[in-house]
Amino acid sequence: MLVSVTEDIDMSKPSDLVQGTLDMLLLKILALEPMNGFAVSQRLKQVSGDVLQVSDGSLYPSLHKLEQEGWITAEWRTSEYGRRAKYYSLTRLGRRQLEKEADNWGRLSSAISRVIKLKEA
Amino acid sequence: MRPEHWLFTISLRLRSLFRWAQADQDLDDELRDHLERRTEEYFAKGMTQQEARRRARLDLGGVEKVKEECRDARRVNWIQDLILDLRYGLRMLAKSRAFTVVAILTLALGIGANTAIFSCINAWIIKPLPYPRSDRLMVFATHDKKNGWTGEHVTSPADFFDFQRQNTSFEQIVAWAGAGLNLTGDGHPELVDGGRVTWNFFDALGAKPILGRTFIPDDDRSGAPHVCILGEGLWQGRYAGNPKIIGRNITVGGEAYTVIGVMPGTFQFPLMGIANLWTPLALSDKQRADRSGSWLPAFGRLKPGVTQEQAEAEAGVFFSGLEKQFSQTNANLTWLVNSMTWDIRRKEGGPELMIVFVIVGLILLIACANVANLMLARATSRTREFAVRGALGATEGRLAGQLLTESLLLFFLGGVAGTLFGFWLMRLIESWIPGRIRGYMINYGHVDLDFVTLAFTLGIALVCGLVFGLAPAFQNARLDVNQTLKEASGQASGGQRGARLRRIFVASEIALAVVVLISATLVVKSFIISIRTSPGYNPENVMTAQLVMPRTKYINDSQKRNFGEEVLARLRALPGVASAGAASNVPFGGFGQGVEVEAVRRPSQPGERTGAGFAAASPDYFSTMQIGLVKGRFFNSADSQGSSPVVIITQSFAREFWPNEDPIGRQIRFGEQHTVATIVGVVRDIMRDHLRERGGWLMFVPLAQFPSSTLAFVVRSSADPTMMAAAIRDAIWSVDNDQPISSAPLETLIAVVDAGYRVMTKLMVFFGALAMFLGTIGIYGVMAHLVSQRIHEIGIRMALGASPVQVLRMVIGSGLKLAVVGVAVGIVVALAATRSLTTLLYQVAPNDPLTFTAVPILFVAVAVAACYLPACRAMGVDPIVALRYE
Repeated sequence: MLVSVTEDIDMSKPSDLVQGTLDMLLLKILALEPMNGFAVSQRLKQVSGDVLQVSDGSLYPSLHKLEQEGWITAEWRTSEYGRRAKYYSLTRLGRRQLEKEADNWGRLSSAISRVIKLKEA
Repeated sequence: MRPEHWLFTISLRLRSLFRWAQADQDLDDELRDHLERRTEEYFAKGMTQQEARRRARLDLGGVEKVKEECRDARRVNWIQDLILDLRYGLRMLAKSRAFTVVAILTLALGIGANTAIFSCINAWIIKPLPYPRSDRLMVFATHDKKNGWTGEHVTSPADFFDFQRQNTSFEQIVAWAGAGLNLTGDGHPELVDGGRVTWNFFDALGAKPILGRTFIPDDDRSGAPHVCILGEGLWQGRYAGNPKIIGRNITVGGEAYTVIGVMPGTFQFPLMGIANLWTPLALSDKQRADRSGSWLPAFGRLKPGVTQEQAEAEAGVFFSGLEKQFSQTNANLTWLVNSMTWDIRRKEGGPELMIVFVIVGLILLIACANVANLMLARATSRTREFAVRGALGATEGRLAGQLLTESLLLFFLGGVAGTLFGFWLMRLIESWIPGRIRGYMINYGHVDLDFVTLAFTLGIALVCGLVFGLAPAFQNARLDVNQTLKEASGQASGGQRGARLRRIFVASEIALAVVVLISATLVVKSFIISIRTSPGYNPENVMTAQLVMPRTKYINDSQKRNFGEEVLARLRALPGVASAGAASNVPFGGFGQGVEVEAVRRPSQPGERTGAGFAAASPDYFSTMQIGLVKGRFFNSADSQGSSPVVIITQSFAREFWPNEDPIGRQIRFGEQHTVATIVGVVRDIMRDHLRERGGWLMFVPLAQFPSSTLAFVVRSSADPTMMAAAIRDAIWSVDNDQPISSAPLETLIAVVDAGYRVMTKLMVFFGALAMFLGTIGIYGVMAHLVSQRIHEIGIRMALGASPVQVLRMVIGSGLKLAVVGVAVGIVVALAATRSLTTLLYQVAPNDPLTFTAVPILFVAVAVAACYLPACRAMGVDPIVALRYE
């Protein structure tokens, strides 16, 4: 599951909000460049400063779902270990979905910020 | 999703559907690749290869689990799941062969019984009549509003022709009369079942000939040249299918008839029964004007847009007009209009078939309960398997789905086996229907395994599979995986829940079996009583020979009289003959006659005419049939053509008309000529048309005074029936060797008419036994399994000092409790349910106390017996072995 290192948020049961966010993050990572699943998880951890980590067990189901939706597509290449490896990349549809989700996220996060910044009496 | 997105993903999904084997391999490769990289990462951080690999696997979680979730994410996999489940299910069924065979056989019995009965219902009740727009065909009946009697199908000729001319509701109105027609020449003289019909008979039914033409109005006038139409069977049989038959002359009733057409073998008019030869009705002018007797059956085809109610209303109005015009003949008479389809179906035993359908439905429930119990028992020994699969990542939904698929598979196979059993049962039921009766049934009583029946069979198999297949699925839901895997034995705590469900199933099926058995017993009891009830004469060892004297050969009365007396003399001279007699018709012979009668009273009261059964009989008829005399005397030689007419009546007739006086010496008026006859004797009631008649009104006149051109000879002899039949035929042919004869033992004639009740009774016996059998197996199965489950407990009890007898009592006691509960519920349900059987019962009350005590006691006894074997097993348990057994 997506676990934030700073808090012990128990996200053992994925809520829609969390799952949607994960999808968006994976799409964004793949928007940077095509890569395989392991690399996606590494890159996410790296660019978020170790804050956002995807558990291995939930990474691949999410990727497969994204592929099923047609937002990412896969091709097989030979890995450096000499065997088949699957590389994902973003599709045109995926790019559109990413934009849409990024918009929603922006709106959501500014709304939350506004509420949190309210002055208490 | 937007349209182009949807289209794009369709191809993706289809691709993953067809290449899922490849997709599996891909998943493998992808995850293996991931593990390699993760291992590499940990190795680079300083762990050993082994440790790194272990950590990598732990991070991923179960590989299979992840694979499963990936597959789930694709969401096209329900088909793949289904195929997997089916293959798995087949494997599991093949492994536990005993269970599978027993379950399939049980289902075959339950489902097959339903298939057979449903196919009968489909063929005879659901399918429409084989005529175009058969729902427009209506039959008429004459109804006496004052006295309440109804003459089915019949009308008086004058009324018929008047209505035919003047009505506005009907396109066609047709009259018909079944007739036995004598065929001579071209081989043996043959008495053929046929009909005399108005010219538009075939047109109204929409029937087309395979050769030649049907009748035209000119054929149907009196005095018109004789024409006839053959049935295909007769054409093939007697005339070798000669294509030049059209235009040929054949001899019917002693006269020449030209064949103008041949009807296909598929053509059938059930109201007339079997018919192979048709001639125009061609009534004489005098007959057409006859308004006094209702004897001419009629039907009609409604005009488009006219309803049955409208037609009946028009008839009502028309007949009130006739009532005013012809007050003597038509007082209180009107016509009823009924749907022909409804009429035929009613006669085929529609209501009775529905009762049997309910019964086999109950039997199906019993069979399903048995199989459900089997499945539950089997499920308890598979809990470990499910626990392991759960640990491997199978979701509850998947497991339940797999169990359901297995059940559906089992029930489907049971359905296939059931089709075979049902087919056999259908043929058996068909064989119980006598050939004569078939003519009155749609499609000659033939029952087919057609598409609708197959769909029905499959349907109930799947529905039962869904409903009863949920039972083991329920039981295995929410297993505590850890607990289950820890337990040494394969039994889990889930077995407790299952045991209660099984007890409920068994008690329910006992209740159902009791209901079925009680119903069956009531019907069988009725049947036995009806057979034992004397029909008023002794039909044993009586051979009948019926014939129709052709009008052209036997024109006047003395010829008819002489023929009859000659034949009787020869019959009496035959060796082995105890007595012989003759009458114008014989009970169950199919030629029943009736007249209108009224008692002659002073002062005379008009309008009391009613119908009575009629027969002209020779003096010896009564003694040959062993009819009992109550008062007065039989006919003797003094009652001859010169002396005044005399009559013998039955007891009910006497009681109705002369309740408080001696009928001997009184007089009655009967018939067209209003003949007056004096009563000289009263005999016991006679059953003429059904074995369950109650006191019909019959009258007999001497054959010598009223010679008849239809004769039925009865011969009482204990000689072999076939030889007797041949001897009688020869005797008759020695007087007139061109006379067609129809002969059969009287008992056979009765059996044919009683066929409906016989078939019903046989069905009830069959299904009652089946219910009993299934119920017994059910009890035995549950008891045996419960005992084997409690072996551990029994071992402890015995180790603690319980005697074998106490164990026996415990086992039988628990079985008895189940049985008593089931039987009690069954009795209550049966009390309510048997009321619907009243139409089938004869002199047996629906809540007959004897039946309601005997059957439950029998069941409880059988239940105890079924517990006996498992109880013996329980007794023989060696405590040490049991305690070791886990």
